[in-house]
Order: sequence, then structure tokens, then C-alpha cells
Amino acid sequence: MKFLKLFKNSQVFKLALGVAILVVCYFGSKFFSQMQKLTSTLELIAKSNDTQLELEKLLSIINSYDYSLRNYIITNDESYLQNRFLNRGIIEEGIKKLKVLTVNDPLRKKDILTLEKLINYRFKLFRETLIAAKSNNVDQLGLKLKLKRSNDYTEMMKLFVYKVINSERLKAKFQNSNHQFELQDSLMTAFLLIILSLLILLLSFNKTNIDIEALKEANDKLKLLNESFNTAEKTAGFGHWMVNLETNTYTFSDNLYRLMGVEPNAFEPNLENTIKYFHPDDLEYVTKVHRESLINHQSTSIVFRFLTATNEVRYIMGVGSFTKDGNGDLIKIGVNYDITNQYKKTLELEENNKELKYINTELESFNNIVSHDLQEPLRKIQMFISRLEEKEFDVLSQQGRDYFSKVRVAANRMQTLLIDLVNYSRTVKGDKVFVETDLNKMITETLIDLSINVEEKNAVIQIGKLPTIKAIPFQIKQLFINLVSNSLNYSQETQIPKISITSEIITEEEASEYKIINKEDYYKIVVADNGIGFKQEYAEKIFLLFKRLETDPKYSGTGLGLAICSRIVDNHNGFIWAKSQPNEGAKFSIFLPKVDMV
Amino acid sequence: MIAHKDPMHILLADDDEDDRAFFSEAIMELKMDNKLTLFTNGNGLMDYLVLPDIKLPHILFLDLNMPGKTGIECLKEIRANTRFKDVSVAIYSTSSSEKDIEDTFIEGANIYIKKPNDFSALKKVIKEVINMNWQFHTSGLNIETFFFSI
Amino acid sequence: MKLNYNYDGNIACRTILQDQLEKLNISYQLLDLGQIEISDNISEESFDELQTSLKRFAIHIIDNPKAQLIQKIKDAIIEIVYNKDKFPNTTISQYLSDKLNYRYGYITNVFSEYTYTSIENFIIIQKIERAKKLIIEEKLSLTEISYELNYSSVAYLSTQFKKVTGLTPSMFKRVIDKRRKLSNTE
Repeated sequence: MKFLKLFKNSQVFKLALGVAILVVCYFGSKFFSQMQKLTSTLELIAKSNDTQLELEKLLSIINSYDYSLRNYIITNDESYLQNRFLNRGIIEEGIKKLKVLTVNDPLRKKDILTLEKLINYRFKLFRETLIAAKSNNVDQLGLKLKLKRSNDYTEMMKLFVYKVINSERLKAKFQNSNHQFELQDSLMTAFLLIILSLLILLLSFNKTNIDIEALKEANDKLKLLNESFNTAEKTAGFGHWMVNLETNTYTFSDNLYRLMGVEPNAFEPNLENTIKYFHPDDLEYVTKVHRESLINHQSTSIVFRFLTATNEVRYIMGVGSFTKDGNGDLIKIGVNYDITNQYKKTLELEENNKELKYINTELESFNNIVSHDLQEPLRKIQMFISRLEEKEFDVLSQQGRDYFSKVRVAANRMQTLLIDLVNYSRTVKGDKVFVETDLNKMITETLIDLSINVEEKNAVIQIGKLPTIKAIPFQIKQLFINLVSNSLNYSQETQIPKISITSEIITEEEASEYKIINKEDYYKIVVADNGIGFKQEYAEKIFLLFKRLETDPKYSGTGLGLAICSRIVDNHNGFIWAKSQPNEGAKFSIFLPKVDMV
Repeated sequence: MIAHKDPMHILLADDDEDDRAFFSEAIMELKMDNKLTLFTNGNGLMDYLVLPDIKLPHILFLDLNMPGKTGIECLKEIRANTRFKDVSVAIYSTSSSEKDIEDTFIEGANIYIKKPNDFSALKKVIKEVINMNWQFHTSGLNIETFFFSI
Repeated sequence: MKLNYNYDGNIACRTILQDQLEKLNISYQLLDLGQIEISDNISEESFDELQTSLKRFAIHIIDNPKAQLIQKIKDAIIEIVYNKDKFPNTTISQYLSDKLNYRYGYITNVFSEYTYTSIENFIIIQKIERAKKLIIEEKLSLTEISYELNYSSVAYLSTQFKKVTGLTPSMFKRVIDKRRKLSNTE
């Protein structure tokens, strides 16, 4: 958008400049023509003045001639006449000059011709007068007549010349006023021209200034970008390079050099100089991939090793792709990324994984040992105990019978412990497949499994409507089995055990306690009983492995049941907590997320 | 109605000597009119079963973990042969895993017994199994859907 | 090709009886379940012949009166288990002693002696047997099945199912389905 605006600006500027130059040209040409016109006017005025001068000169010569003649006539002194030929020559010259001056003025030309005739005739009169005066028998009357005629003619000629001069003066005056006007016009034009030129100059200067500012800013930005890019490359541990496919010239970024363990620009950037920094084992592969890509123009992505100048091995992830530069040349741009740390971490992780897998298999075989190999001999022991009890019990002494009972109890306890251990390890194992699980179905199955125990205790079980959640079914069933068994185990002898399993709404208090942001995200399942309960201060301890509160042997527990529950709830990203008071029953609340958060 | 004149013929294949002893003692103490034949492994059992002129057993108890042919292999072979379609197969194992129970039932077992850890319990279990089997064979029940896990 | 089928044992049995009797030219009248009436003046020879031919179908002529009684008890139980409408309003014991005209104590004694199980247990077994058939048929839900079999709740049916078979109804269904799949792929 901005670019478009800039582009438009420069277009507008160009247009304005063009128009301004046209206007300047127009005014310039106008000024030129005005100046020319001015010159011609001045010439005309000069010509007119010259004409006037010449005419007056002519008139004065004729006058002086006239006087000379009269003086001669009066004095008869010949010396008065010595200049008459010279005067005649001057007149000839004057006429010639006038002819030249009036060459462009046909009217004046005619006037001059008339004047020439008049002069010629006047000179004829002079001659006649002179002849008359010179003659020995001077006809005074004729002479007087002649003089009078000459005088009249001179007057007449004078009048004509004055008339011409007058008209010439008028013409000059007109030209002069014209000249004044033209001069003003030209001044205006010149002024406008200067203003306009100044304006254009200013505009151009301003524009250039702005452009330079922008260029400088862009340059600064580019510099900063380049710097930050360099820093980024350095920090992130990657370097880039380019090769122009037309000119086969390489460009390396500073950090690419550093990746190879040398200072920036340590050598001419090209493939040959880089070769010694590739790990010898990878060199062939890397150059092959690179060269092939230069032919088929396919993007590349490889992992290889740099053997740096300091003989350090660096794992590099190199990706290359093709593009065209400003000149339309095809270039390949590559980014080399130092993945040494990741690589080493991955190796470490793989190692750890292997170990974990090994531990898992160990755990699995341990499970097998516990669930089968250990239970087998125990079962035999129990079998033999029952055989002995049935057949040989009577022959034992009272103490022997006591011991024997203790052996049986211990063996039974060991059996429950083994079963619980297997169950516990099953909750640790990895195969956790979450599926839609109807908790109602789970609780039904639980009660079927526990039906003998429930009947034995005459317990009353109340089940509310439970939700369907994403869960590991066998673990959820185990959870219910353990909780219900727990309630049955720790029931009060004086009361019929009552156990309820219901779904409840999460209270504000619980939400803040467990940092549940949205109460709608969790289901709360409550297993409550009217058993012997426990002190609230133990509420957290009961979920710990092998933690038992009751030491009375009539409460048979392994200390694993609730730990298993805690683990299972944990596996489902939920929480479990217990609330109880001695002899007031216990309430176990389980919070399970509605959405599968795994 | 089938008259229950013939003695119930029972086979047991179990590699564990003690378990075989417990089993036969239990059968003996039950004092039912039964005939018990013992095998120490799966191969011996299968060799016997393929004999042409034997009297087929009513129930066959199979341990799962046996050297040579395992219980499940024996079960598959037996169920592949229509000659044994009326023989009830009872799995007699130390495992109580639901997977083992389900798998053996799918393969055609009728009864699954987790070896008890109490002799009287063993007697009770055997008695119940024999009775249940008896019901299936005498009351027109569908042996195809005969499942009894204890 | 494997085919699944269901059948009615009673109809099958009656048809076999009719076929065999007609083949031997013995006039007969079908009575209640497990009972037929034939003319008294049948020769010993043809009676033996009938007995042998029926034995092939695992049908035995019961000449023991106690065995006859047991068969009657079983038939009566099967009748009420398979026919909801006939389920008695009174107790089962009352119903059986009324129907068979014996004291209930006598009935149970005779039954246990010959079948190694109690009448109560036999009823449960029969009900679960029918439940199995209904589950496999897939026409009814478990709730409907429990209603059909006069159970007070699904939970009760499930518990009893588990007691008799050792499996939950859903596991039973799963095993049956997988068995069929297995035999179909063979």
C-alpha cells in the first residue's frame, strides 16, 4: 500500500515537473520572441531617427547652399561658391543613405524619390539663378523672380521635408510607445520565468532531499536488519549461503564461516574452499546432492557434519531452495543449521529410551514373577496349609494350632499383597488406551465382582447416574473396586455398611482448591460410606504407597489399594481427595476431566 | 432323558505334580462316580485322544502352561476336530487374567478355573464344574454357549 | 460355508417322535411335553424297536416314575421360563406342587437326588440359558431381557449371569462374536 503511494507520488512529481518544464519553455519562447520584437522596434526607431537626421541634413545643406548663393549674388565673391560641388556630393550621399534607410518602407521610399526630384529641380533652379547672376547682363528682375521662385521652392521643399520628418517622428513615437509596452511585457515574462524556474528548482531540491532522507532511512534500516540478522544467525547457530547459477558466484554469511570454525570472510566463498571443512565421510554425499540439485533445481535437505578448523565435529542440517534474484538470475539459497546439541540430545534421549524400554521389560518380567512365579509357590503353600489344617490340625498342640493359624494368615496376606502389587504395576505400565467408558457399566461390573464381599457384609449400595468419559476401562474398574473394597473393609461393626457412588456438582471451594478454572471441564464422582473413617489430617497420607492407618489385624489392607486409586486418577489427569472424621464415614471425591487431555 | 449310568469320565493334563495330586485327591474325596485319567503334558494328552477306540471323556481339564504342547494349542486341536464336539474343555490355570479367560473361551473352552489356593475350595470348584457340565448334558442346554468361569 | 441356526428342541423332538411312531405304525397321542400315549396292546417286539430307533436321537423312554417326575418338573420350569405369561403369581414351590400334585419337599428331594442340583438353581440355569439366547439374537436390550425374564433389574440379571457363567453379559457377547468371527475366517 505504502509502496503504491510512493510510486504514485513519484509519478505525480514527474508529471508536475513535465508540465513545469513545458510552461517554462512556453514562457521562454515567448520571452525570446518579445526580445526579438523589441530589437526590431529599436531598429525601426533608430532608422526613423537616422531618416530624420538625414532629411534635416539635406535641408540644411540646401539652406546653406541657398545662403551661399545669395551671398555670392550680393557680394559676387566667388569663394562662396567653392563648396557647391561638395554640397551636391553630400546630398547625393544623403539621398543614397535615405534610400537604404527607407528600403522597407514603400511610402517613405516614394517620399524620398519625390524629395530627390525636388532637390534635383532645386539644384536646377540654383544653377539657373547662378547662371543668371553670373551673366554679364544681369536681368535684375529675372534674377529677382528666380530668387523668389527659388525661395518659394525651398519653402515648399522645407514643408515637404518637415512633413516627412513629422510623419517619421510620429512613427518613431508610436514605435517608442510600442517599445515601452513590449518592454513591460518582456519584463513580466522574464519575472514569471524566473519565479517558475525557482519554483521548479525548489521543488526538485525538496524532492531530492526527501528522497535522500528516505534512502538514508532505508539504508539505516537495512543496516540494522543486516546486523540483527547477523546476530540472529550467530545466536541461533545458523548460517546461509547463496550461489548464482548464471555466474557461479557464491556468497557466504558471516556466521557460515563461524560454523566452519573460521573468522568471517576468512576465504573466498566458493565450493572448493569449503570442501576441507566438510567431514571426510560426508563430503562425497554432500557435494553429490548439491551438484545434482544445481542441475535439476530441486530443493535439498540433508544432515551432514562440518569438521571445523579446530577439528570439532558439528552436526549440520542443511536446506537449500531455488529462487530468482533481482536480475532474474536463478540462485540457490541454502541455510545451514547447527543441530549438534539437538543431535546429541536425541542420541542421549535414544539412549535413555533404550534404558527405559529395558527397565520396562524388566518391570514386565518382574510383574510376571510377582503375578505368576511368586504366586505359584505361595498357592502351593496355601494348598498344603489347607490340607494340613483339614487332616492334621487335631494332632497339633494348642500352640502349634496358633502358630499354624498365623502361618495361614501370613500366607493369605502375602497373596493379597502380591495381587495388589500386580494391580499397582499395571497402573504404571504404558499401555493406556483411552476409550469412551460408561461409568455406570464400570460400577455394575465392579459390584458383580464384589458381590460376594457385598453379600458377606450385608452392605447397601446406592448408585446414582454416572457419566460416560474417555478413560482406561480396566483402570476405572480397578478404581471402583478398590474404593468400594476400602469402604467394605473399614466398615463399622455396629452398622450396616452403606456405600453410595454418585456424580455431584463441583463446589466453589473445590474449584479454588484444585485450581479448576471451569467447573464444566470436570466430572466429580463421590464414593461415600458410613465406615470407621479417619482423622482429616491423614487425608493425604492414605494415598501413599504402603501407608496404612489401621494396625488392627481385623482391618486387612495392604496399603496399596488407595495408592492404586491415586495413580489411576493421576493417569486420567484428575484428582482424588478424601474427607472424613473418625466414626463418621469417609467421602472420596474423584475429579476427572471431561475432555481427553492426554 | 439320558440315564446317568456310566461313570463320569474326566481327563486332566497338568505338568505340575502337586497339582495333579491335589486334583485326584479332590476327585477322590468328592466320592462321585468318576473316572480320572491324568496326563503330564499336552503331547501325551493329544496322543491319547487321537486313539480311535477310546471312550471320549465328559470333561477335559487343561493346564495352560505346559512344556511341549500348551493348553491353548491342545484346545485349538480339540476344537478343530468335530469328534470332540461334545467334550467339555475346562481350562485349569494359575492365571486369572481376564485376557486369558476371554482368549480361551473364544478358542472354544467351556470352563475356566483359576487354580484355588485352598483344598476345600478346589473340591467345591470341581464339584460345581461337574454339576454344571452335567446340567448342560442332561437338560438340553446349548453346549455352544456353555461358559463357566470360576 | 458356516451357517448359524437356532432351533426349538421341543418341536424337533415331537417331529422325530411322530416320524418314528408313524414309521412303526404305532398309533399315538401327543400329550404334554415329554409325554405321549400309545395303545397298551403294543407287542414287546415293536416296543423294543421303538426304543432303539429313538435312542439314535438321544430320546429315551423313561420307565422310572421318579425320572418321569423329574422330567415333568423340568418341563414345567422350562415352560414358565420361556413363556413370560405363564410365570406364576404365586411362589414357584406352590406352583410346582399344585401342578404336579406332590408335596414340594418331595419334589425338591427327588430333583436334587437325580440332577445333583436344586430346583432353584435349575430355574436360574434355565433363565440364564434363555438370557444367552436372547443376547445372541440381539433383538432385545439387556433391560428388556431382564424384564422378559422377570428380573427386578439389569444389575440383578448381570449378577446372576456372572454367577452362573463366570462372565458378564457383555463379555459373553464379545466371546460369542469373536468365536463366530474366528470360525468364519477359517
